[in-house]
Parts: sequence; C-alpha cells; structure tokens
Amino acid sequence: MWGYQGRIERDLDRWRDAGWLTPEGDARIRAELALRRPRYGLSGALAVLGAVLLGFAAMSFVAANWQEMSKLARFMLLFASIIAAYGAAGALFVRGLTSFAHAALLLGVALFGASIMLIAQMYHMDGNPPDVVLVWAGGALLTGAALGSNPALSAAMLLTCLWTGWEVALTSEVHWLFLPVWAAVTAAMAWREWSAGLLLAGGAISVWIVALGYLLSDGHAHQLVTLLGLTILAAGAVLVQRPLHLPLQPPVIVGFGMAIAFAGSLALQFVEVVSTGRLIVLSALTLAALLAAIYWGFRTGMRNVLWLGYTGFSIEVLALYFKTIGTLMGSSLFFLVTGLLVILLAAVAFRLHERQEAAGGGLS
Amino acid sequence: MMGADQSRSVRSVWTAIATVASVQLAVLGYIVFDRVRLLSAGREIVLDVVPVDPRSLFRGDYVILSYDISRISSALLEGKLAKGAPLFVTIAQDAADKWNVVRVAAELVVSAMPEAGTAPAAKQVVMKARSDAWRSAATGDRTEPIFARYGIESYFVPEGQGLELEQLVGEKKIKAVVAVGRDGTAALKGLMVDGKLVYREPLI
Repeated sequence: MWGYQGRIERDLDRWRDAGWLTPEGDARIRAELALRRPRYGLSGALAVLGAVLLGFAAMSFVAANWQEMSKLARFMLLFASIIAAYGAAGALFVRGLTSFAHAALLLGVALFGASIMLIAQMYHMDGNPPDVVLVWAGGALLTGAALGSNPALSAAMLLTCLWTGWEVALTSEVHWLFLPVWAAVTAAMAWREWSAGLLLAGGAISVWIVALGYLLSDGHAHQLVTLLGLTILAAGAVLVQRPLHLPLQPPVIVGFGMAIAFAGSLALQFVEVVSTGRLIVLSALTLAALLAAIYWGFRTGMRNVLWLGYTGFSIEVLALYFKTIGTLMGSSLFFLVTGLLVILLAAVAFRLHERQEAAGGGLS
Repeated sequence: MMGADQSRSVRSVWTAIATVASVQLAVLGYIVFDRVRLLSAGREIVLDVVPVDPRSLFRGDYVILSYDISRISSALLEGKLAKGAPLFVTIAQDAADKWNVVRVAAELVVSAMPEAGTAPAAKQVVMKARSDAWRSAATGDRTEPIFARYGIESYFVPEGQGLELEQLVGEKKIKAVVAVGRDGTAALKGLMVDGKLVYREPLI
C-alpha cells in the first residue's frame, strides 16, 4: 500500500508537470489517496506492540511461579487485570481513541491466555497442551468478532496455527480440526473486510495444505497438494475475470494457489525419490508453468503473479542445479536445451509485441 | 453533542465489552471450579514416581513425573481403539499397597469407577489416559509397550527449585498423591518423600 502511495504520488507530480492533469483533478486524486491511508498510524502500531510486550510480561510472571505472592493473590491479580484491560478498552472506544482501545483489547486477550497458563500451573495440569492454546484462540476470536478488533483476530489466527502446529508435532497426523476453526476466524476477518488479515489467513491455510503432502499417504501426498494449489489458482483466475467486490483480491488468491502448487511440485521433484526421466518431465512442466505465469503476470499486470513466477523460476533452477539430472553432463544438456527454448520464446514474444504495436494494440 | 445514535453506540460498545470479559472470566472460573471439585471429591491414591527436570515453554519450571503405571504391556489391551481415543486403565492395589495395571480398554468400566469416600476395600481405580496405542492396536501388534499419559506428569515448582526437588528425591523414594474423578480424570494433589508429605497444594 505504501509503495503504491509513493509511486502514484511521483506519477501525479510528473503528469501534472506534463500538463496531462488539471490542478483540480490532481487535488481530487490526492484527496482520495489520503482517505485510503491506513487508519492506524504510528501511535496505534506502537500501542499494539506495547500491549504485546505487556502480554509477555504477564506470561513470564506466571512462569516465574513467584512464591512471595500466594496463588490465590496471583490469580486475583490476573483476573483484575483482565477486567482493567477490557474496561480501559471501553473507555478508550468511547473517547474515540480506537487504536489505543484495540491495543487494550489485545492486552485483555494476552492476559486471558496468561490466566489459563496460571491455572494449569496452579493445579499441575498436564493434559493435552494444545487444548490450552485452542481455548485461548477461542477467547481471542470472541474479542475480535464481538468488538471488531483486527489485532485480536490476528492473535486468534496465530494461536490457531500454534494449536495445529503443536497437535501435528505431537501426533504426526493431519489436524483436520484446523479447518473449522480457521474458517471461523477467516469468516470474522472477511466480514470486517480486513484484507491484511485475510492475507494471514491465506498464508495459514496454504502452509496447512502444503503440510498435507508430508502427512497423508505416509508423506507421499504431494500430488494432491499440487492439484489443490492448481484448483485454487484456477478459482482465482476465474474470479479475476469477474468484477466482484471481494474482501481478498483475486490476484492474491491466484498467488496463494501458485505458491501451494509450486511447493507441491518441488516436493514431487526433490523430496520424493524420482527417476531421471520423471524428474526431467516434472521439472520441464514446472518451468513451463512458471513461464506461463510470468507471461500471464505481464499480460494482466498482476505484479504478485509476475514476481512469484520469477521467484519460483529461480528456486526451481537452483534446486535442479544442486540435484543434478543424472550426471553433470545431463544437467548441462538440460539447461542448454531449456535455455535455448526460453530464448526462442523471448524472440516469439518480441515478434508478437512488435506486431501488436504495428496494429495499434496497447499491450506491453 | 451526544445524540441518540451516539449514546446507543456507546451502550453497545459497553455491552460487547461486558460480554467478552464475562465469557472469558467465566471460562477461567469454570476451569478452576472443575479442578477444585476433582481435588476435593476425587478418590485419593498414592503412586510411585521417577522424576526428571526440564522447563515448560509457557509455565516455568517443572518436574516431569513418570509412573510405574505409565508403561503398560500391550497384552493387557482389550478390544480395539479408535484413532486418538482415550484409554481407560484399570489399576489395582496389591498386598504391598502398590498400584498395578490390570486392564486397559477403550471404554470406562462403570463397576470399577472410583467414588468419593469409597472404602479402601474397593481396591480398583480406573484412570483416563492418552496414548498413541491406537497405532499398534490398529496393526494388531501386541509386542510394543503402551506409554500412557494421565495428565499428572508435570509438577510445577518455583523458578530454580526443580533441580533441588530432583536432588531431594534422587536417593529417596518419591510418591505422588493423586485424586481420581468419576470419569477417570486425575489431578496431582501433592508429593510424598519417604512416606512424608513434602508438598501439598491448597485447593486455591
């Protein structure tokens, strides 16, 4: 967002100087840009970070198991702090200091978690540790949904990921319960049309899907991952064509699909044991798909698709170089052939571009 | 200029705040209530333990307690286990007052359920445990032992005192005082060294 702001402002200066833009038009565009600036400035961000630090202070206080204060006193202290944090949030909301109010809500969520830990410590509870994280995530979701708090919703998403990660670490099984909880937190984010939160949600589900490849079918389900990624990519591509109002931009969905499919394909080529012939086919397909993505990114102006394509291409080529196709001579031959093909494609693209220019087409 | 709309939105903010805070406090209160009930009404048993000292990620120093009844022969497993399902371990007290595992099953056996204030004549107790025994149960492999966790494997001590406690129990024999509820849930009540109660937790 900030990158876009800086770029458009430089462009506006240039366009106005060139006389393409009337002073009135310039002023109107700048007024709209100002409205799009993030609502939380530096003070809000610092307040949220301060709340995070206070939350860690509370957790460390619990962990220290300080004996100068009785358990009951420590418990009452945390109880009172929760009430104080939420009370402060209410007072700050009423005064219109919303960014500070959100920081206070986040502190309330952190203190709720610290209290659960304290109770577990008081009673030497050693059940299933991830369950504690789930209860905490539930509290964060409640705060985020009931009070429209983005920081609390992101805490809920991060705690959901911690819960699932912990369960997977303990059981080495797919954690299916992640899906309904993820969906609940994501629904709250979508309802608030909070796109940064949805990016976090997209990242979380992407990692979960990629992990399926390592957990299902004894760790050999990477084909499924690639397929799911391609399905998400296709869904995003369909949405790109439709002028729908979505909280998450379709090119972002395409990007997540690409990343998932590429992660699956990488595992198929380099984690699984494959024959040289299969490796050549898979890597040629992956490289072709990445080139197609780069082309598509150029055509449609989807910058994230373009950069993901470049990044994927670099990772793929490096991985192939280290893996070695059969022999080093085999690798050399593979790179020679693909290099020549890509240069040939470049020449074709150049011709097409020239022809379109000549025909008056405006594609770049 | 505080209009009707504004005062309504102020009221709704406070309603939402009160709801969130009371739900969270109620959840905390319930966890405490549940534990206090288990500790005060559960059947009390004393188990032999072997401690080691690590540190919990979130909750500070603690001593890991491993019990004689934590390692169970698979041959005692009756019936099939569903994936991730809890285990119900029946333990019985022998002539030397030592508790041994006599049966492991996927369901709670009602007849052997511990009751509050039950006479020690009822020398059997069922404890709920977690384990990954369902893996070997699925393959029918009965050679690997089952490692059961009863939720009483961590004893939290003040920062820096974990090693002290471990040294204390290094030469001497340590036992854990455990409360077991009607549904087989167990809770640590305290620790005994050489037959003497060294740590006893207050209910709250």
